[in-house]
Amino acid sequence: MRFSQRVFCGRLTANDVGQKVLLAGWVDAFRDHGGLLFVHLRDRSGIVQIVFSPEVASADVCQRAASLRSEYCIAVGGAVRARLPGTENPHIETSGIEVFVTELTVLAESDALPFAVSSKGMVAGAVSSGADNVAEELRLQYRYLDIRRPSMRDNLVARHRIFQCVREFLDSRGFVEVETPVLTASTPEGARDYLVPSRVHPKSFYALPQSPQLFKQLLMVGGMERYFQLARCFRDEDLRPNRQPEFTQLDIEASFIDEEFLYELLEELTVKMFAIGNIAVPRPFPRMTYAEAMDTTGSDRPDLRFGLRFVDVTDVFARTNYAIFRQILQRGGCIKGINVKGQSDKLSKNVLQNEYAKEIVPSFGAKGMTWMRAEGGKLESNIVQFFGPEELALLRRRFDVADGDVLLMIADPSYAVVTSALGQLRLHLANRLGLIPADSFRPVWITEFPLFEATEEGGVTSSHHPFTAPDRTDFDPKNVEELLKLRSRAYDLVMNGEELGGGSIRINKRDLQRKIFTALGLTEEDIKARFGFFLRAFDFGAPPHGGLALGMDRTVSMILQTPSIREVIAFPKNRSAACPLTGAPSTVKREQLAELGLLDLGGSVVLPGTAEKQDRVDRLSWLSRIGVAAEERALVEAVLDESGQLARLAGERAGQEQPVYSVAPVANRTRPGTEAKRSPLAASGQLLKSAPALKGSYYKVVSILD
Amino acid sequence: MDSVFVHRGSETAILGSGRLQGLRVALQPNLSVAGWPTDAGSRALADFKALEDATIVGRLRQAGACLCGSTRMSEFGFGLENSQAGEALRTKTADLELVLDLMGESRLAAARAGVCGLKPSYGLLSRLGLVGLVPSMECCGLLAADVARIRDTLQAIAGKDDLDFSLPDEEPSDLAPRAIEPRRTTLGLVGEAQGTLSAERDKAFRAAVGKLAAAGFAIKRLSMPDFPLFSLVHRIVGSVEASSCAGRYDSVRYGRRVPGARNWNEMYLTARGAAFGSHLKSYLLSGAFFQFERYQAFENACRIRARLLSEMRRLTAQVDALVSPAVGPVDLGAPPSLAETYAGFASTLFANVTGQPALVLPAADVAIQLVGARRGDGLLLALGERLLGIVKGGS
Repeated sequence: MRFSQRVFCGRLTANDVGQKVLLAGWVDAFRDHGGLLFVHLRDRSGIVQIVFSPEVASADVCQRAASLRSEYCIAVGGAVRARLPGTENPHIETSGIEVFVTELTVLAESDALPFAVSSKGMVAGAVSSGADNVAEELRLQYRYLDIRRPSMRDNLVARHRIFQCVREFLDSRGFVEVETPVLTASTPEGARDYLVPSRVHPKSFYALPQSPQLFKQLLMVGGMERYFQLARCFRDEDLRPNRQPEFTQLDIEASFIDEEFLYELLEELTVKMFAIGNIAVPRPFPRMTYAEAMDTTGSDRPDLRFGLRFVDVTDVFARTNYAIFRQILQRGGCIKGINVKGQSDKLSKNVLQNEYAKEIVPSFGAKGMTWMRAEGGKLESNIVQFFGPEELALLRRRFDVADGDVLLMIADPSYAVVTSALGQLRLHLANRLGLIPADSFRPVWITEFPLFEATEEGGVTSSHHPFTAPDRTDFDPKNVEELLKLRSRAYDLVMNGEELGGGSIRINKRDLQRKIFTALGLTEEDIKARFGFFLRAFDFGAPPHGGLALGMDRTVSMILQTPSIREVIAFPKNRSAACPLTGAPSTVKREQLAELGLLDLGGSVVLPGTAEKQDRVDRLSWLSRIGVAAEERALVEAVLDESGQLARLAGERAGQEQPVYSVAPVANRTRPGTEAKRSPLAASGQLLKSAPALKGSYYKVVSILD
Repeated sequence: MDSVFVHRGSETAILGSGRLQGLRVALQPNLSVAGWPTDAGSRALADFKALEDATIVGRLRQAGACLCGSTRMSEFGFGLENSQAGEALRTKTADLELVLDLMGESRLAAARAGVCGLKPSYGLLSRLGLVGLVPSMECCGLLAADVARIRDTLQAIAGKDDLDFSLPDEEPSDLAPRAIEPRRTTLGLVGEAQGTLSAERDKAFRAAVGKLAAAGFAIKRLSMPDFPLFSLVHRIVGSVEASSCAGRYDSVRYGRRVPGARNWNEMYLTARGAAFGSHLKSYLLSGAFFQFERYQAFENACRIRARLLSEMRRLTAQVDALVSPAVGPVDLGAPPSLAETYAGFASTLFANVTGQPALVLPAADVAIQLVGARRGDGLLLALGERLLGIVKGGS
């Protein structure tokens, strides 16, 4: 057989009827009708039914065909025929045709599969099994089989289309893709670096880039003017469900531009990318300042697919007699609320008081929640009697209350507590009440972030990174109060409550950069040690520039509406940052460590983290999950010393006897005549009675690191 | 707060009627009595109230006994620190006490209180509903002023329990009273089991043996050079079992939570760190050391245990019971080290390693311990009854 003549399964149409074709691919499924064998042959383009019939194929071909099994890799030659009316299969692309085989070559056999690859039924109306219920760990371990499934294949192809779209669009706008190094020095992104030891320079390490931030700015100094890169970045962060230790970001930087240039560029690009998923994103994207976002949604990545915006009612209660509010306001606090329009039938008094006020809102960090339900032209609540008629009337106007509305208010001395708790409540309500419309995509630019955040030591730290330009340059770098009021020229692109990316206009003047470092409390030596090479570049005429980075895994996942970003990555790490396919990360041979000069690191310089493992009290305390207090260490040390001696003694005195574990051994089994039954204490819930924290019929435990 | 009891039962709460009618029984808060606080003396079980009766508690009730309260105990019954075992008898607030015997606690408490104390054979009493610590060695001991009361109670509570899967499927021992003919009875003295007694106690013990000989009992001197290894085996095997047993106290189903943990592991670490007292904690970590870092030591200890068992069987086969002094520094002062705790129980813990029944009888200046063959509890009690009169008599 000659592969040069091969045609693709999924491309065959009724126009090919009568043609002799050569196909190659995998046995997706097969059905034996006593001598007549039907096979779904699958390649990347799709599936076509091939038929082994004794009337058409030789006895030898039919005999070999009988041994075909799922995922055998085969090549066949045969003639395309139209299917008999009534035997069409709407599940597959080539529903109306089939190929009657005359030649068969088994290219490679397949072992039994760890999970079903096939997801297309062989007959109309058949339920496709699919691998949707397969454990993800197993899918990742056999990712190459998983990729044979059409849904994974389609995801990877769509990802490719989106990346192509990015490249074509940016190329058309004059952007040049430049690769920056993966083996580099640590950058000031703030997360933990992945380190790579150097063999040539023993005990020295490269860092894998957390982003190409410094290089892209240096490319601007280098006069590239418009740069982009689909860059692989690495962050050794704590594990979270939708995060990967390595990820792909679209990195963009341009010179002689301002924010408007980037807004236009990114909006156009976003619209094009989402169009690949048949999603129309409306332009222009709205903009919202950080302050407004926090004020009305409690989040710097607001989900705008639904309302439930916050209304500030602090002034309404300025002279209130309600003691709780009065005390909070006396301490400089604020009161904000949400009007949940027309949902009072779903939010009963019981739900509001016992679920939200007592359980849910406290778990969001607020001390409590005040609720009112509008019914019969009145506001009713468990505390409504504490408010005067003017207050209630003003409240009705402020919230634009109609019957059936539910008002939820949170009051706290801390603005941050009010917005954070109300923000979480907003999302909780939207999900619970089904207020989030499907297939809705609502982008928003968040602007005017604070340039600095206060540190616990009374100083400031950069909210973004120290190269972000401030909104004004005439500030006093020693005046913390003034510094905390500065806004940055940074911006985030947010879609449906998720941050797709962000960036900023950078500082290009060395004096201003120096001022920022002074504000951060860095000395000349600090600056030189951490950013020396980078700042030196700004001594040679750096152009004004700015840029942005877009998380492509998350963006593609949102466009394709997959449940996790792992569905759009060919070989992702699992939730514990490991690769079940390759076993990475894995231990290495001693020789490798020796070659890298890493074995004696513990000698003069102690390797971080190894000290704990070397201390046996810490080690045993950890293994047994029994904390040892400082004042108990000496006792435990002494006991372990003694235990070591006892172990030695036992070794010296042990004879050849078979060990005895019990003086009257029992077979651990159910006694004859008895059968397992559920304890009535379990059925009545009594069994949980002594648990220190209970919620319903469940034990309450702290969150799992996921 | 009551100095002896942590919880008092109602005097009128007698359910059944039988041979123990009206017998006031004190137990420890490690034995489940429905509705009673059952913390086994540990913060790890703080606030835990038993949901149902332990098997032997149910049997006590059915036999007409009155549960009069639970007495203060050491953490999980390990050692006698802060334990008030025996005090309810001494103060006559109870007629019988149940005290967990891990290494001799019930017997030394009996010696301390001047009453009789039996640790029955391993496997005779159900452990269902017992909050234990060293499963292969522990058994509830029975304390009373006279042997007959111990026998009556033992007959009421011993025997098969379909719900205790750790109980061996053995036929019930014959616990009935029997006559003892001194001239046809041999008592063994294991030299190494006598340990180092003070001159005064040594004299008292010799005097007691002398009385027995005078009463006509044959005395046979025996030797067991490996006897000191009992402590070693108990300490290694006991700590490993304890460390494994205490694994269930995770602050999820009972106990107390230390707030502020950010994940499961931290929750366990902090809650368990705060739950266990330092003394027990050092025992548990020592067990973890043997399990995770010197597993061979555990196996070696079990090999030695096999040897000790067969040597002890050989000795016991030559006599009707072994006689030894039961002495321990029962000091309620500063917490001892593990080594000191073990030294304190050197005269009693061998019966826990071998599972033999051991009966302590009060006598002038030194308590006498009788040890019989495993499952020979009936003979041992009969002997005890006979001997008690003799050793007590002349004092």
